[in-house]
Amino acid sequence: MSIINYASKEIQFKIVYYGPALCGKTTNLAYIHSRIDPGHRGDLVSLATAADRTLFFDFLPLNAVVIKGFKTKFQLYTVPGQVIYNATRQLVLRSVDGIVFVADSQWEKMEENAESFRNMEENLAKQNIALDDIPYVIQYNKRDLPNIAPVHYLQFLLNNRKKRVPDFEVISTTGQNVFAALNAVSQLLLHKFSKDSNAQRSAAPASL
Amino acid sequence: MDSIPVLTIEDVANIDNVLQDYLQRAEADLIVVIDKGGNLIAQVGDLEVMDVTVIAALAAGSFAATKELARRIGEVEFNALYHQGNGSHIFMNSVDEDTIMITVFGSQTTVGLVRFYSASTASNLASLLAKMRTSSAPGFQFDLNDLSSNEGGFTERH
Repeated sequence: MSIINYASKEIQFKIVYYGPALCGKTTNLAYIHSRIDPGHRGDLVSLATAADRTLFFDFLPLNAVVIKGFKTKFQLYTVPGQVIYNATRQLVLRSVDGIVFVADSQWEKMEENAESFRNMEENLAKQNIALDDIPYVIQYNKRDLPNIAPVHYLQFLLNNRKKRVPDFEVISTTGQNVFAALNAVSQLLLHKFSKDSNAQRSAAPASL
Repeated sequence: MDSIPVLTIEDVANIDNVLQDYLQRAEADLIVVIDKGGNLIAQVGDLEVMDVTVIAALAAGSFAATKELARRIGEVEFNALYHQGNGSHIFMNSVDEDTIMITVFGSQTTVGLVRFYSASTASNLASLLAKMRTSSAPGFQFDLNDLSSNEGGFTERH
């Protein structure tokens, strides 16, 4: 849940990169970190094991646009993909504002993709958030590998709900469409924030 | 729909007063108040030395991880956590169900002093936060027209 601070003139949002183990969530954040102006980002913090697997989460703070004099700050998190770390995924999802679901395009990962998507929905439900209420986009990652499923199959598997969400063919190692997905989710998120803030305003007139 | 949490200038000033008083009494270096999702609510003290945003994210994680430990020994959660370093230490305590206070301090003070003053500070903060949650905060209204078409995005450097 975003926090608006009138004293520091800041709005904070949380975006979580979700997906199965080894699908490229951390690589997404590392690419963003390497290609964004250092003045607009903080340090990339990775809590990983010696084998470079995410143990807890990765974290990257970014500064984005100014809305009516308010600086927006985006906090990017990844979840650990390995099945056993579900408690950690629930923690990272706490007060989430937007999600980038990273799917692994390789045929042999289809079951894991579907399972991770289901797991995300369940973990959101535990926070009383319906997936349809949260701004999210889907990445089909690793499009450069030879044994990948076609996009229409991935769409059928993961983006087959009543409301189709934006999807991107991504190669996170080279950065292809990494920023496109990030920008799409931040636009969706700002859109929802604008809608919510207006609804709230009409419900309770502001004193300022 | 949950309302969007809003901190007014007055709210922040009230919180800052409580925290400044605690900072001086406990002779701490830095105090940060966060929600359990890792969002920053308030901060006072030596802000130049550390990246407070990162501290907030890590502290929320640390607090949540130990909650599971607490459960194993029949507790709901640990109310306070202490990380002891060689020169700098971190003390964290629960303010209310959603809020954590982080105190960073050095060898000029002691954990006993920090712990002592943190208890009353946490309860003062808790009542301030409770008041804020029930009062009708000013809404924040913004329209997507407030953003020009090329804004709202992150620019990739080549």
